[in-house]
Amino acid sequence: MAPEPEQLSSLSNPLATVDQLSTSSSQLDGVPADLEGSLRFAGAKLTQAAGILLRLPQEIIAQAIVIFYRFYLGSEGGSFRINAVKDVSAASLYMTAKISFLPQSTRSVLNVYAYLLSPTSPLRQPSEGITGKEKPDAESYYLSEGSYHSARATLLQTESILLRSISFITQVTLPHHLALTYLQTLGVLPPSPTTKSSALAARTLAHLNTALFSPQLLYLTHQPPHLAVSAIYLAAREVGVKLPSMEWWEVFDVDRETLGFLVVGLGSCEGWIEGENEKWTEISCPLTLDELEEEIRRRDVENG
Amino acid sequence: MDPSRGTSCARNINPQHTTSLPLTHQSSRNNLKRQITDQLVAPSDVLNYERTVKRQKPEQLPGSQAMDKRHPSSFQQLEKLGEGTYATVFKGRNRQTGELVALKEIHLDSEEGTPSTAIREISLMKELKHDNIVSLHDVIHTENKLMLVFEYMDKDLKKYMDSRGSGGQLDYITIKSFMHQLLQGIAFCHENRVLHRDLKPQNLLINNKGQLKLADFGLARAFGIPVNTFSNEVVTLWYRAPDVLLGSRTYNTSIDIWSAGCIMAEMYTGRPLFPGTTNEDQLQKIFRIMGTPSERSWPGISQFPEYKSNFHVYATQDLRMFLPQIDQMGLDLISRMLQLRPEMRIGALEALSHLWFRDLPQLRQQQAQQAQQMQLGGQGSMLMGGASGGGYGVPVYQ
Repeated sequence: MAPEPEQLSSLSNPLATVDQLSTSSSQLDGVPADLEGSLRFAGAKLTQAAGILLRLPQEIIAQAIVIFYRFYLGSEGGSFRINAVKDVSAASLYMTAKISFLPQSTRSVLNVYAYLLSPTSPLRQPSEGITGKEKPDAESYYLSEGSYHSARATLLQTESILLRSISFITQVTLPHHLALTYLQTLGVLPPSPTTKSSALAARTLAHLNTALFSPQLLYLTHQPPHLAVSAIYLAAREVGVKLPSMEWWEVFDVDRETLGFLVVGLGSCEGWIEGENEKWTEISCPLTLDELEEEIRRRDVENG
Repeated sequence: MDPSRGTSCARNINPQHTTSLPLTHQSSRNNLKRQITDQLVAPSDVLNYERTVKRQKPEQLPGSQAMDKRHPSSFQQLEKLGEGTYATVFKGRNRQTGELVALKEIHLDSEEGTPSTAIREISLMKELKHDNIVSLHDVIHTENKLMLVFEYMDKDLKKYMDSRGSGGQLDYITIKSFMHQLLQGIAFCHENRVLHRDLKPQNLLINNKGQLKLADFGLARAFGIPVNTFSNEVVTLWYRAPDVLLGSRTYNTSIDIWSAGCIMAEMYTGRPLFPGTTNEDQLQKIFRIMGTPSERSWPGISQFPEYKSNFHVYATQDLRMFLPQIDQMGLDLISRMLQLRPEMRIGALEALSHLWFRDLPQLRQQQAQQAQQMQLGGQGSMLMGGASGGGYGVPVYQ
């Protein structure tokens, strides 16, 4: 590979090492790899849902999801059996919002999580159709002053653990704005948008948002320009927009091999997510420590 | 998947490289590529950075919780140096090495957790390593307390000026040396797309080698400047740029340059140039000297949220009246920094190559020679007290 040009740090993120990707604290603590994948996905989904309910921009939500992944990374990272999905998700979102231009109060964040974790929340119900779903029960997600105080103590303690574990590396550069700049540069985003150019931009951003849920942790293994270029490549093919016939991605310092890998990675997200949704139709994926222990027990019994 | 891909492909677009990409394919392809590259507007081009970026950024996520290995007891806590809005600073000594440090103890808020200022400061300071930026050695995070270990500096510029006994005024060489170092620190921040946003004499630290370093990055980078969120907290307005005071939300690196200009003036006179009490008063103090801008002198000014059509109209004053000691070239530099319109303000790198700094190496050399002579004359001990000495410039290294 060609010598690496000097990094422009504002476009890059610190990435996960091979070791960090191959061993995790959770696995060392006896969480099966497939369950770990499910927990990560459930955590990302929970963070995304909470972010939407808090009316946070996708920028902050996406950064929080990346921070959530960073926490559980590697053998020195956090473990799902010690720090619950729900707590780390809430702390990631609270902390990311706090250092952004839209800080949220602990009360709002905890209200939203209480709702999302309640038995009748959309995240807790089997994903099969609307019918048969229970009506939301306000009683079940009301956060009394007492429970609020103890939830806040947990939130702030988890924030502390989170910051320590990620070594205060809170900066997350996202590929979204880069992708739009690249589209303009490629001349496929005219100043007055056409149906096709709008569809292309929307599809590109959709791929980038979907990639946040990738089981391959693409945001932790690839730099923003790589993600941006791959999303554009895939979106252009789907929408039917013709891009320059030469190897345009090289202009953005992405080689064919990386592009190929990422295009497959992005393309496989959808199937994987569907698989996850099917996997957790009877019961919902564990989000608390107790639920996780129960799931691990259940599996032990199943496997004899 | 092949996880090594991530790290081995950690390449990036670098604006310095985009125009000189090795284009080895056929010429038609080259032209197309060149067209694309020519259209690329890299963020740094917009901000006029001229040098390559060398932020020491972690390229990998932390493998271990190395920062927690040290315990607060590794440092002996000495006297209190100051108390800030969210932290108390102590002088400290590393028990192992004997090295002096500054210990910034962060009060963890029982309602909001780790203060956002602390999170921002730590994540930035870990990356910004430069001679003119105070260095963060360590972060000690225990159950209920967060302690930042900084290199030790003797005093801040405010105290340094007060201690000079000449009404706070500094001598010519010291001003020039401090301005040069201040601008170098700012230039480094700006190259790394970090705005300090809160430059003031209290945030510039001086050691007895005559080095100046930027400190207190608690407000750096995030959007929007918090106004007095706590009633007892006085966020000083004196160094705030007019565009920010007018309510601009799109300010950029030029706001730090304005602050630097204000600090330069203060080093000459010993007094703040624009000591406003409220947002409005601050603007008035600025306009009284720099002249009230109009749509004609500053197109678009009436669009700012805080713009009032009934601003008192002042004529532009000659800055020399307020800075009688300044020389012609110094006046030229400060005038370029104190431009009301942000886009007219000089950049940090450009300011560093201003003619006013041309004789700095020479001045430093002369001073070093003088210092040596004095030391030979048995008066060396006075030099180390540089801050309290007065009468001659501080010994300056660089």
